[in-house]
Order: sequence, then structure tokens, then C-alpha cells
Amino acid sequence: MDYKNRLIQALSDADRGVLQPLLTRAELPRGCELVAPQRPIEQAWFLESGLSSIIAMSGREQGVEVGLAGRDGLVGLPLLLDADRTPHRIFMQVEGVGYRIEANDLTVVLDKHQGIRKTLLRYVQAYATQTTYTAMSNAVDTVEARMARWLLMTHDRQDSDEISLTHEFLALMLGIQRPTVTLSLHSLEGMGLIKATRGLVKVRNRAGLEAFAGNAYGVPEAEYERLIGPLR
Amino acid sequence: MPRFFLHIDDGAERIEDEEGSLLPDLTAARNEALTSARQLWAAAILQQRDLGSRRFIISDADNTEIDIVEMDEALPVSLIVRLQGKSLSSPV
Repeated sequence: MDYKNRLIQALSDADRGVLQPLLTRAELPRGCELVAPQRPIEQAWFLESGLSSIIAMSGREQGVEVGLAGRDGLVGLPLLLDADRTPHRIFMQVEGVGYRIEANDLTVVLDKHQGIRKTLLRYVQAYATQTTYTAMSNAVDTVEARMARWLLMTHDRQDSDEISLTHEFLALMLGIQRPTVTLSLHSLEGMGLIKATRGLVKVRNRAGLEAFAGNAYGVPEAEYERLIGPLR
Repeated sequence: MPRFFLHIDDGAERIEDEEGSLLPDLTAARNEALTSARQLWAAAILQQRDLGSRRFIISDADNTEIDIVEMDEALPVSLIVRLQGKSLSSPV
């Protein structure tokens, strides 16, 4: 069977064979919650397509996105680290497909199969790098550069050049006001890097977007490729 | 909840808000514009840019203009008073 999930792709044939009977395919609509804050995590998800957002809940109504995972990753990382819950909320922000594995099955697999455990732990390191660079970007980058970074990260995790998201969603993702989203998209559009229409952002010049994002983009992606393999 | 659109007019062109957002009333729409203006000023000051004569044009669900929020309204009143005093004593 062909998997699009990069972690499953990175496994040996034997390890993939161990995992395969434990995986259940499911359609994941936009908004679907994969992990609820402070509730026991009963399943982990290998995403095949779509995009999930890891949201840090705060006093704010909606929280702020602190990480994202698509076909590059696994949702339910606390299970790999001997934790059964997290304060974060994780939900699908772009609909997709994923393979579910029960928490108990995952625990047994991790105990018995070193190859799987090592690959998944290396992903934890890659994901941690992503979130630390998000923290750095939030501290030093302009809103436009953060927007460019975010669009690139989303683009990495899908085949199409069209990113289907409302401005309201982008505002939540970047922790900014909606009109600020409108303005920063407008400014990226003015440079010919993207085309923004209602509910849709089309990447027109990927290389230009990377150049504009500068230091905001690239290090976590290179780490991912060093630790796991091809990201895009 | 009614839908409000927050277009941005920078003097030269108007950047359309195509989506709008659902908000309880005009006060909430003005507050969204003001919070955004603070965010835009913060970025502009750091980058030594001027927001100039930019303003928000608030439209209702029919896209009829119902209010205007100037970017300046987000600046601290004491700052505006000080700057006004300065420009009176030493005109540019």
C-alpha cells in the first residue's frame, strides 16, 4: 500500500508491515478535533493529507496556533513521550485523510519495534524545532514575513498551489487581527508572490516567497529532512 | 450576528475586505478596527514606516459604508496632544 505520510514512508518495509494492520483510515473534515485539551488521548493520527493545527489555549477565546502537522507528521505526540494528555487542542484546519492508531497499540509497537520508535522520536525533535522557530519568528519577524513563513509551511504539506483558508482562520493561526491579515496578504500580493481571493490563497512564486521570508523559513524544514527524509 | 466589512483606505487605493466578520454590533466592529490599528502602528513604528492617512471604512452586510475609523484614533491621546503642541511651537 502506498502511504503519503512521510513518517510511514521513512520506515523500513518490515516496520511498515507491523504498523499497517493497526491503522484505520478516516476522512477528517475541516474543524474535526483530533486532540482535546486535558483529556486522555485515545488515538494517534498519521495524516495523509490536510493540515492540523496545534493550538495553545489561553485566556483568549480561541487560543493561538503554536504548531502544525500534515502528511509530515503524527498527531498525538504526548503518547510517544509517556504522557496521556496535553493542554493543547489539535484540530483539522484543512480537511484531509488520516490513519488512526489506538493509543494502546501504539504503546506496544513502540516497546517492541525500535525502528518505529526511533523514527517517531526523531519526528518529535523535528516538531520541537518547528515550534521553537515559530517562537523566534513571533519575536523578531514582521507580520508579512510570518505570513510568508506560514504559507510556505502549509504549501510544503500539500500538492496544490492553492491554500484554502479564510482570513479569519489566518488571523487565528498567526495571532493577529483580521484586517492585519488582509493588509499583509495585500502586500505579498503586491510583490507578485501570491494571489489572494476570498477564502483562497494561491502561491504564485514559491522561490520569491522563500526569499521574502528570509530567516523566518528554512531551518526547521532542513532539520526535518536531515532527521526524517523529504518533507515536500 | 450581523456581518461587518472592514475595508482599508490608504488614500491611494482601497484594500477590500472580501470576507467580513460576524460581530455583535458596530461597537464591536470599531473595536476590531482599533485593535488592528494598534497592531499596524506597532509594526509601522518598529519598521520606521508611517501609516499616513490610512483609515478603516466599516460597511454593513449590504456593503453600505456606515462608519470610518482613522488609524490615528488608536494612538495614545497624550501623544497626540504633545505632538500638536510641538507643531504649534515649531511648525515643520
